[in-house]
Formats: sequence, C-alpha cells, structure tokens
Amino acid sequence: MAQTAAQAPAQSLASETGELHLDHLYKHFGAPDAPAAVDGINLAIRPGEFITLLGPSGCGKTTTLRMIAGFEQPSDGKLTLDGEDILGLTPDKRPMSMVFQSYALFPHMSVFDNVAYGLRLKKTPAKTLEQEVNFALASMSLTQYADRAPNQLSGGQQQRVALARAMVMKPKVLLFDEPLSNLDAKLRVQMRTEIRSLQHKLGITSVYVTHDQDEAMTLSDRIVVMRQGRIEQVAPPTEVYRRPASVFVADFIGRANFLEVQNHRVTGDGEARQATVSVLGGMHQVPAHDGVSDAQPATLLVRPESVSVTRIDAVNHAEVQIAGNVGRILNSVFYGSWIEYEVETQDGNITSVVSDPAPEDIMDSGTCVEVRIRQERCWLMPAQD
Amino acid sequence: MSLETLQPVAAPAPPPAKKTGKKAAGRRLDPLTKIVIGIVMAILVLLIAYPLVRILTQSFSESGRETLAEMFTSSTNRTIITNTVVLGLLVGAFGTLIGFAFAYAQARLEFKGKKLLHLIALLPIVSPPFAVATAVITLFGRGGLITNKLLGLEYNIYGLTGLTLVLSLSFFPVAYMNLLGMLRSLDPAMDEAASILGANKWKIFRSVTLPMLIPGFASCFLLLFVEAIADLANPLVIGGDFTVLSSRAYIAITGEYDVAAGAAYSLVLLLPGLLVFLVQRYWAERRSVVSVSGKPAGSVRLIRSAAGRIPLLTVVGLIAALIVTIYATVIIGAFTKILGVNNTFTLANYRYVLSGIGSDAMFTTTILALIATPIAGVLGMIMAWLIVRKVRRGRGLLDFFGMLGLAVPGTVLGIGYAVAFNKPFIIGNIQLLPALAGGAGIFGGALAIVMVYVIRSMPSGQRSGVAALQQIDPAIDEASTSLGASSLTTFRTITLPLIRPALLSGLTYAFARAMTTLSPIIFITTPKTKIMTSQILSEVDAGRFGNAFAYCTILIVIVLAVIGLMNLLIRDPKVKTRSR
Repeated sequence: MAQTAAQAPAQSLASETGELHLDHLYKHFGAPDAPAAVDGINLAIRPGEFITLLGPSGCGKTTTLRMIAGFEQPSDGKLTLDGEDILGLTPDKRPMSMVFQSYALFPHMSVFDNVAYGLRLKKTPAKTLEQEVNFALASMSLTQYADRAPNQLSGGQQQRVALARAMVMKPKVLLFDEPLSNLDAKLRVQMRTEIRSLQHKLGITSVYVTHDQDEAMTLSDRIVVMRQGRIEQVAPPTEVYRRPASVFVADFIGRANFLEVQNHRVTGDGEARQATVSVLGGMHQVPAHDGVSDAQPATLLVRPESVSVTRIDAVNHAEVQIAGNVGRILNSVFYGSWIEYEVETQDGNITSVVSDPAPEDIMDSGTCVEVRIRQERCWLMPAQD
Repeated sequence: MSLETLQPVAAPAPPPAKKTGKKAAGRRLDPLTKIVIGIVMAILVLLIAYPLVRILTQSFSESGRETLAEMFTSSTNRTIITNTVVLGLLVGAFGTLIGFAFAYAQARLEFKGKKLLHLIALLPIVSPPFAVATAVITLFGRGGLITNKLLGLEYNIYGLTGLTLVLSLSFFPVAYMNLLGMLRSLDPAMDEAASILGANKWKIFRSVTLPMLIPGFASCFLLLFVEAIADLANPLVIGGDFTVLSSRAYIAITGEYDVAAGAAYSLVLLLPGLLVFLVQRYWAERRSVVSVSGKPAGSVRLIRSAAGRIPLLTVVGLIAALIVTIYATVIIGAFTKILGVNNTFTLANYRYVLSGIGSDAMFTTTILALIATPIAGVLGMIMAWLIVRKVRRGRGLLDFFGMLGLAVPGTVLGIGYAVAFNKPFIIGNIQLLPALAGGAGIFGGALAIVMVYVIRSMPSGQRSGVAALQQIDPAIDEASTSLGASSLTTFRTITLPLIRPALLSGLTYAFARAMTTLSPIIFITTPKTKIMTSQILSEVDAGRFGNAFAYCTILIVIVLAVIGLMNLLIRDPKVKTRSR
C-alpha cells in the first residue's frame, strides 16, 4: 500500500489516457470443447499503471497480451481503451506499441530506420521525425549506434532499440512480451531498472508479461497472477507476497513453507481477520484470508525468512526427540549472503533462511534446533483444492 | 561460382508449412489480404486450373473416351504405356544412383577439384533439353564419333538405351542436390557414435548413412521417374521407334490433329505425375529422418583411404568426363560444319542462328522469359507469404494449388493450354476471353507463352519463399503491424526486403527454367512467336545439328549471363535474411 502512495506523484505526471478494461475476455483455440486458453478475464488497468501478467507457461498470459495488442481475436468478451471498444480495430490501428521477446528488429534497416519506421508510417514531417528519433535514441543511450545494423549490436543494445522503437510512437499503452528473457542475468537486472524508471518518467500505461517473479515484483504497480487461463490474484507486489490469495500464488511467488492446520479459530473481518492456529507445539495468532473458516481445512504460509532457528543445549543431538518446536537440521547449505537450513519438525520439513550468517554460527546437519516463527508474518489461507 | 545460385532452389523443398503453434492461430484475415487471395486465386484458376479442366473435358469427350477406352485394350497403347513405365523406372534408378555417387563423393571423400565436380554436376540444369541428346547422337549414334569412328561399331543409340542415358544425365542433378543437402545435414555425431561403438567406415556407411537416406532415395527416385515419363524433347530426338506417352500425345496433336486423343494420352500422364508429386511432397519428406535443425556437433572425417576412394572416384570421374565430352561436343559442334563428317571450322552456324529467324527467336525467347520471370517471382513470394503468414485453414491446399504448375508434366500443361486458349472463351454469346494461344491469339500467341512461363516458374519462387519466410521470426511482422503498418505495407517494407535473396535465387531458377523449357510451349508456339527451344527441335529434326549446337551454346550463354547478373544483385551486403 505504501508503495502505491509513493508513486502518486509519478502518476500525476502521466497522461490521463490509457485506461484499459478487459471484460470477460475468453479465448478458445481449436475445438470448442477444448479448455479455454483465457477463461473469462476481468481487469481494469488504470492510466499510467504498470501491470504485470505473471504465471507459469500456458497460463494464458501471452494470449491475453496478444488479444490486447490485436494479434489474437477473443472468442468472447469486451476490450475497451478509454471507454472505446477497440476489438474492431486491427493491430495497426490500435494506439499501442509492443516490445517483443525476440526484439523483432528489422534486420535490413539501421537502428535509426528501425526507430523511425512507425513515425514514417504516420507521415511525420522529416524534421520532427529526426528530433523524436534522436531523442528516443539518446534516452536509451543509443545515439552512437544510430547507423549500425541490428545484428551489429549486443543483445542488451538490441532490446534498447526495440524499446526506443516502441516508445517513440508515444502509444497510449506499451505492451511487453517477456522482453528480458533472452538477456543474461546481470543485464536483465539493469534493463529492469531502466524500464521501470523510463515508465515512471513517461507515465505510459504498461502491460508486461513475464514468468520471472523478480521482474514482476520489481517492476509492477500491480501483479496479475494467472493460472490455467484465469486470474488468481490482482494486487501490489507486497500484498501478493504477504497476502497471497491461494496456495498456488504463494508457491509461485517467492519461497514458501506450507503447514497443514486443523482446529483453527477465526475472528475479525477484512484487514483485521485473524486466526489462532496450533503449530510447532504452540498457539499462534496469525493474519488470515477471508476465505478461511473454522470448519474448512487451511494451510499456513510461513516464508523461510520468517523462520528462525537456534541451537539447543544437548549433549548428544542424535538422541533428542523431535517434538513441539524442536527439530533437527537435515541439510545446511551456504549461499554466501545467506544460509539455508532444512529442518525436520513434527509438522513436516521446514526451510529457514538466515541472512548474513556469521561463520561460527553455521550449524551442520544433525544439529537439533528450536524453531520459531514470526506469527505476524504468517498467513493462513484455504487449503489447496 | 555462378551456378551456386541454384542451390537453395534445387535443395529439397521444405514441407508445407507445419503447425506454427498456438501463437499463429486465430489470426483474422484483414480485407486487404482477402482481396490479395482473391486475385491470386483468379490468376491460378486461369493459368492452371482451367487448362487442366479442359484436358478433363476433352478426354471425356466422345473421341477422347474412345482413346481412353483403347488405352489398356489395344496392344499398341499397352506397349506405349509399358515403354513409359520402363523408361521411368530406369531413369529413376540410374539418375538416383549417379546423383548419390556424386553427392557422396562431394560430401565424404577427400580429393582435389571438388568445386569443379560440383559445377560439372550442375551443368545439365542450365542447358536446353536437346544439348545432351544431340551430342550423344553425334558421339554414339550410327555414325558416331566414338562408337563408329573410334571403335568401328555399328551401334544404334536410338531407343531405350539412348533415352535412358540422356535422361539420366539430364536429370541426375536434381537427385545430386537433394542427396547432397541430406548428407551435409546428417549429424556427424552419429558417425562418431557408431565409430566409438566399434564400426568401421564401411559398416558406418551401410548401417548408419544409407538407412537414414532411404526417404531421400525414395523421393529422388520418384522425382526422376516423373521427370522422365513427362519429358518430350528427348523422346522426339533420340527415342527412335521407342514411343512413350508424351511423344504419342505430341504425334496425336501435331500429326493427327486429334486434340481429344492428345488430351486423353496426357491425362494418363497426368495421374502418375500428380500422384508422385503428392507422395513425394507429403510422405517422403515427412518420413525424412534427417535432422535439419540440430546443430552439427562436429565435422565429418573425410575418407582418405585408397580402397574407399578409388572405386567411387573412378565411376564419378568417368561420368563427369562423359558430361564434359558431351558439352565439349556441343561447343565444338557449333563451330564445325558437320561434326564427325566434315570437321572444318566454320562460323556459318552462328551466322545462321544470330541473323534472321535465329536472332528473332533469341530475342523473343529472352524477352518473354524476362517478362515472365519477375511476375512469377512476385507471385511466388505472395503465395509463400499467404501460405506461411496469412492463411491458416486450407494452407496445405493453397500450397498444392501453387505447386501444380510444376507437378503437372510439361506436355500435359502444353496440351491443356492448346485446348483451353487456342479459341476464344465464350459462354453463351459473351466472349469472356479472346484466343490467347496459337496464331490467332493476341500478340501472336506470345501472351500464352508468358502465361506458361509464369505458371511453370512460380512454384520455385513459392518454394524458396516459403523456406525463407519460415526462417523469419513472425514477431518481426507483428512489430511492424503494431507500429501502425497495414498488412500490405508490412509485406512491402519488411517481408519483401527480407526474402529478397530467396526471391532472386527463385527468379534465377525460374528464368533458367523458362529459357530451356520445351514440352509445355511446343504446343502453343506460332510462326509469329519463335521460341529458341522449339527452333532447336526443328533444326535437330532437319538434321542440322551444327545450328542446333549453336543455338544451345547461345542459350547457355544467355542463361549463365543472367544468372551471373542476379548473383551480383544477391551479393548486396546490406541484406540479411534472419532476425537477430
């Protein structure tokens, strides 16, 4: 929530257009009885908002993006931009630009001509055209490459050209189809930051498809988590991470421990909804999802970083009974900036992550530990169906 | 190396656009594309469907039905059919073998002069159909330079032997190109795997290489079979008494003026032609185990041992020598009064060819081919674009429709044109089309010849276009669209420039093909429009071999010159075919 507030000034700079509404959008491929690729999606995207469609492959995120772009025709549903129905428009008539996974630069044109392509089609006067293209190239630090052919550029530079080419059109909506997935890890992080700051500056409504949760978390105002053609959750990154709508979302984003919970008691509503659960031999007050009720089975989400472990005093660790909050380390893996323990407990195996570990504190497997969870960081949600 | 332009075209045709996956689905055709489809369809109907339909209606007319009924009952006709099949089988077998020998030597043996051998193997592609036959008669005929003058034999080359020799030599380059492509794309890691498991070179050849090439052999055999049974020029020149279906159809039309019978004979020729085309295209290519996409893991160890090299190189060398001798005969024969009889040097043959009738024919043929080639090229590219990028349902059918011009034997096509376009097309009292072919046709029948060139050449453009387009990321088209380009603008500014190299090599092949084709146009040439190949035929018929040789050399020079020119255009360094 805090994040959206912080972005308010940026959004006020944005144009007041680019409001995109997806209304019961369906897409069937092939036989009508085949499962829908996109199964009735409702989504209201605000002007200037950066929305990420996130999900495993085959969840319908790319199809949704392509329907927005006009490359796919929905089987049913409505699509409006600033209140106007755009389903009747072919892709070239929609005021949108797209950045492709494969960059899709025109290999027979120079960088300048690539960026100028769309403006030339719009019959932009030569002078304006040159100014705008040069500005776009400069803002992507590409000025010196203007006369190069695309295949003389590195992958990162090519992606910048693709971005410049899309931006220069001043579209109402920018579409991104996994634009960073062909880049190496370091470059990806760098481009991520650039895309984000650029979008902030320009305030163009953006829809970004990815299967990379880091990209989704760092770029988005809101994340749309999709699964099997449906939306599982639409929420800002913090909420998706801390208050996932389902076990699927919790599992897909970040790392998670899931503890099966019985005999829980729920109180309160909305933000204040809480539950008393008994795990690891103790009672815990945890925030709970609206869908949790006393009678239904529920799952407790505990993020590894919310689990702490401390060595217990015992002469022979091998003889210690695993019960209550006492567990035994099965695996201990050192990652440098953090260490990860897999701990056997009475409620199943639990992963704990300790950051910035001191070398002398590192525990070997076989060590018995007391396991503690930070209850206010846990999240109780309905068990997976 | 000018002939290398032909390589991509002669390589195995890509299978008809396979599933392009989910992402290509659900594309809606914009009105512009629909109009383009409509226009292309109309052209195809006029250029190929209508003539074929007329062959059918003629064959099933009263007198045509008589011929059809006699096809398998009369013993003469049975002999003709047997002759045709035997010829097809022999040429299929020998052509494939020769092609494989050349391809294997090229791909797997180490020897000097590979490039030269490659060029020699491709020579028959660019030469007119008579060059080989006429030279073979001069060399091996009754008074032949080699058989009679050198060896003192009374040998009769006319008939099945001569035909098999000439056709095998003329058509083996097709098998050579196909098999060479396959051999080169075989993953060397498989050889390495077999060798590390203990197989020696010979064992690898028998148990790994050969089995993987079986679909390739099958498809080459079928291609050559059809080429052989459909050929008309060679049976006329060197067939002697050995009559085949195509020459029978030719006699029926030009000698007996029985168009219906000619149509009926050509119908019998059409059916195996189409069948083999379908089998070859939709079965053999699908069965191919050759992995084209995989990155070769290493390079093949070339065979250096004498035992492996000498036998094959001897065979290949002899055949190459024969080809060189044949073309040397053509060139020398063109400068000789009567080669083998009166060997005095003369320029009379060239004088005859280059002045009067000859220069007329040269000029007309080149002009008509130059008109037809770009039309065929652009049409082929549009077809490829529709097939790969636009049409989803029925793209296989569209592809087949476009390839028909090549699948239909030339003789059949020619007869179809003669039947369809020699008279005005009239329904009721309205004349829909004037006569396009024959002496009464518009432009003296030149239009019909251009039409034949176009429909005959378009498939090679379509084929190379499909191959090129399939390598271009569809996202490039979409990027253009999302930047505001209509579908036609995208084709013009993005697609066409990207497939330009394929277009040019398709055009080159189309031009060579148009210049050297005989069977489809011999039925529709008129005194007003003289075509070189049919002029050569009449020179050969009249026994004026010197003139024929002169024609052939000039034809080859024109084709090579145009190919060279096209090569210069292709060399443009700014053009890159692939994305990224």
